[in-house]
Amino acid sequence: MRHLRLQTTSDPALLAPVRRALEGFCASAGFDDRGVGEIGLCLNEAMANITRHAYAGAIDRPVVLEAQFIDDELLLTLRDWGNGRDPSLNFKPADPLTPGGLGLVCLRKLMDDVTFVPQPDGMLLVMKRKRTEHRTTKEA
Amino acid sequence: MDLTTGSDLVPKARTTGDALVMAVRGEIDLHNSPELRTQIFDFLGKYSPKRLILNLSQVPYMDSSAIAVLVESLRRVRTFGGKICLTGLQPRVQGLLEIARLGTIFTIAKDEEEAMTK
Repeated sequence: MRHLRLQTTSDPALLAPVRRALEGFCASAGFDDRGVGEIGLCLNEAMANITRHAYAGAIDRPVVLEAQFIDDELLLTLRDWGNGRDPSLNFKPADPLTPGGLGLVCLRKLMDDVTFVPQPDGMLLVMKRKRTEHRTTKEA
Repeated sequence: MDLTTGSDLVPKARTTGDALVMAVRGEIDLHNSPELRTQIFDFLGKYSPKRLILNLSQVPYMDSSAIAVLVESLRRVRTFGGKICLTGLQPRVQGLLEIARLGTIFTIAKDEEEAMTK
């Protein structure tokens, strides 16, 4: 399986099953346990941000996940139809003891590329990660 | 003294000396982290422990919402001069704590016995 498409919603109850589906997809594509876990965490954080910020807590709004491998690289996209605000514009490295912002820190540290692409009716988040055996964690 | 919990997420809790020990179980994300917060804060309100020991050996996964609960709990415990010790950290939880730069802010122990001495 080289392509995964899931139509889900912003309900936090669906975070775990969607994450597990992506983790299984990445494991079958050859990512090691650490890579699988880090990608799963990034998906979790991105979806949680959609629920909390793009949809202002609404749990019944659509989210579409697509994942595919292109030249040994995972291309992961998340589409929402929320407020369309780019969360990275107000991003600043957080004080560890101040709540908020950790999700975006995870995305920046654990993925090779993270881009928010505004849409006329929401946001498209594009994340990439190469499948490499030895990878060091980036600075946020 | 063993305590009664009302949540599968915290199947066991007890007080021993000035410590409150809570065993947490399961994956924790935005869906159930509010429940974890409720459980922790209920016990903190009742016992105001000097040492809160969270046994996370049965927590294979947590996200930033769970980390936020831990941080909020730490701030609360500090108001009465206490501290939080995390034990039994699983690799994914340990990794997230490092990303959050919280590995040195919480006291870390390998198990509850060691946590009682830190």
